[in-house]
Order: sequence, then C-alpha cells, then structure tokens
Amino acid sequence: MMRFSDASGRKVVSTSTADRVGRVDEFIVDPKTRSVVAVELKKTENGNTLRWSDITAFGADAVTVTGAEKITDGGDDVTALAGKDHRVLGKRVLSSKGDELGKVKDVEFDPESGAVTALILDNGQVEGSTLVGVGSYAVVVHAE
Amino acid sequence: MRTSEINKRPVVTMAGEDVAQIRDVIYSAGGGAVGGFTLSGRGLLAGPMKQALAWTSVAALGADAVMIRDEDALEPTQSVLDASASAGGSGGNVLGSQVLTDSGVDLGTVADVVIEVAGMTGGQCDVVGYEIEASEALGTKGTKLLIPLPDTLAASGEHLMVPASAKDFVAQDLAGFGASIDAFRAQLRETT
Repeated sequence: MMRFSDASGRKVVSTSTADRVGRVDEFIVDPKTRSVVAVELKKTENGNTLRWSDITAFGADAVTVTGAEKITDGGDDVTALAGKDHRVLGKRVLSSKGDELGKVKDVEFDPESGAVTALILDNGQVEGSTLVGVGSYAVVVHAE
Repeated sequence: MRTSEINKRPVVTMAGEDVAQIRDVIYSAGGGAVGGFTLSGRGLLAGPMKQALAWTSVAALGADAVMIRDEDALEPTQSVLDASASAGGSGGNVLGSQVLTDSGVDLGTVADVVIEVAGMTGGQCDVVGYEIEASEALGTKGTKLLIPLPDTLAASGEHLMVPASAKDFVAQDLAGFGASIDAFRAQLRETT
C-alpha cells in the first residue's frame, strides 16, 4: 500500500525516451469506484492530467508511462472530479449518520489498481470501501 | 436531543455537498412528531429558502449534520407544511406555551423541545418531551426541567395539555430523561 503523501512529488518517466515528463502533484479520486482515476502532474510540457489507465507502473521511486503523449488535459469525466471541491485531503469526514469523524490527513491506496484502501484521519482511520461521496463540504463515509 | 441544538446544523448530501442548513422544526401529529424542517441557505448572507425538508426524506440526523441522499430530497416548503398539517400538525411554535396538566395546574412554559429518533432510518422522529421553565407547582420555580410527553397530546399554541402524572416524571438532564419517558409512558398505558 502507498500513501498520497509518499507518492506526491514522485517523478513521472517515459519508458520510450527515458525522459522525465512530469511530477505527481495531486490525485483525482472517483468516490463511485472508490479509486484513483487520474493523477494531476506539474512540470509537464502539455496538459497536466495522467489517467490511471495510462500509467504503466506506479513504482516506489518513479511512475512510468509509455510516452509523454499520455499526459493530456483530461476528459470531461476526469475534470469533473478535479478541483478543490473534490479533493479528499484536508476535508472533514462525516459518517452517513451525520456524525463528524475527523479530518482526512492522508489517503492509502493500492499502487497496482488505484483502489483507495483507507482514509487516514487525525484520530484513526476508516476503510476505503466505506467511501460514499466527496463534496465541497465533506467526505461522506458509510456507517453501520 | 434538544431541537435548539439542531438549528443551523448543515444539511449535507451523501455526495458531501452542504445544500442548506436547518432553520426551524415543522411539527406534525399535534406536535407529537417532527414533520420536517424549514431551511436557510448556507453562508453569512443567505436567507430563508423556498424549499424545506420533510422528515421522510432525512437519511440521518447526526450530531454534526443532517444527512440527505441528494438535493432531490428538498421540496417546496408549502408542500411540507401541508403534509404536516394534514397529519394533525399545528405547524406553529410551541416555545413559550404554557404547560397545563389535565387537572388544571400550570407546570411552566416551554423553553425547548426534546426529540428522539425511533430506531433505524425511516423511523419516526418523536417529540418525547419539553424542557420547561418550571412554575411554583413543581417546587423549583425558575429552574429548567425536562418533562416527558405522552405519545399524543393536545396543543393550542397557547396551552399544552399533559396528564397530571407527568409531573412525577420530570428529569433534570437528558441523561436520566430516557428512563423517565419510558416509565411515564408505561404508567400511562397501565392506567388506560
């Protein structure tokens, strides 16, 4: 498992040219599939969005892609999930019962599949599988 | 919980958007249940909204937020008011009403309303008691006391009628109040 805080800043390298084509900046999470659908990059030439499906490998030292052309402006589906309102980090967490659980300090994910496995809160953690929604006010997780 | 604690609580969708905040409680069933809530917009300058939230559309009433499935849960205020009124709701405000026993003793005036959500999602939101500013009849004039209510009661806006035995089940705080309500209602069932 990997955390957003570890993976942020990691270099993105093209396997065809061996050039560094960008750095990981932010993660775009789709609460419906409870997984990372794309990463936003900085220090790129064109565009700043790399879809999860276009990533060759999310390694411990570098993220690899087949070429710089995989970095795009992102499609409508991805840009709809980008931006501050849909950011998970730093946001308050509400249970589906309406109780506040804390704030998101970090997110743990599976570097193979992109699945969000856990939300790390300032006082404990919740399973990624309980994620229901991410909005401008709160991250909502399912509570029994 | 007290209804005064619910005021200003945000209304949040399962998608994590705060679409409104609670403005006031709409009562139904003669003041014995919560029919819904009127809403205000979020933000400093936001005023009352034209939409309201029926209790049946509330997914959960939590300590920090009122959860709804999505924005479709909101409906025009008038239809929520009408629905509550047709269920015998006064729609009006009980705060400040004089609490009278059926034997004609003034117990005090209503300062707050205590509600309890029955069981799971979809359960009724019952009004189980009132916090009253006690009168002389209770021997502790001026103090705040919690008085349990029967399942149904008569309210006129000016007066609120409770069985005389209600005064034997008053509680000082919410912690011991649950037991008071159960004991009171059990006693009422025995006598009827």
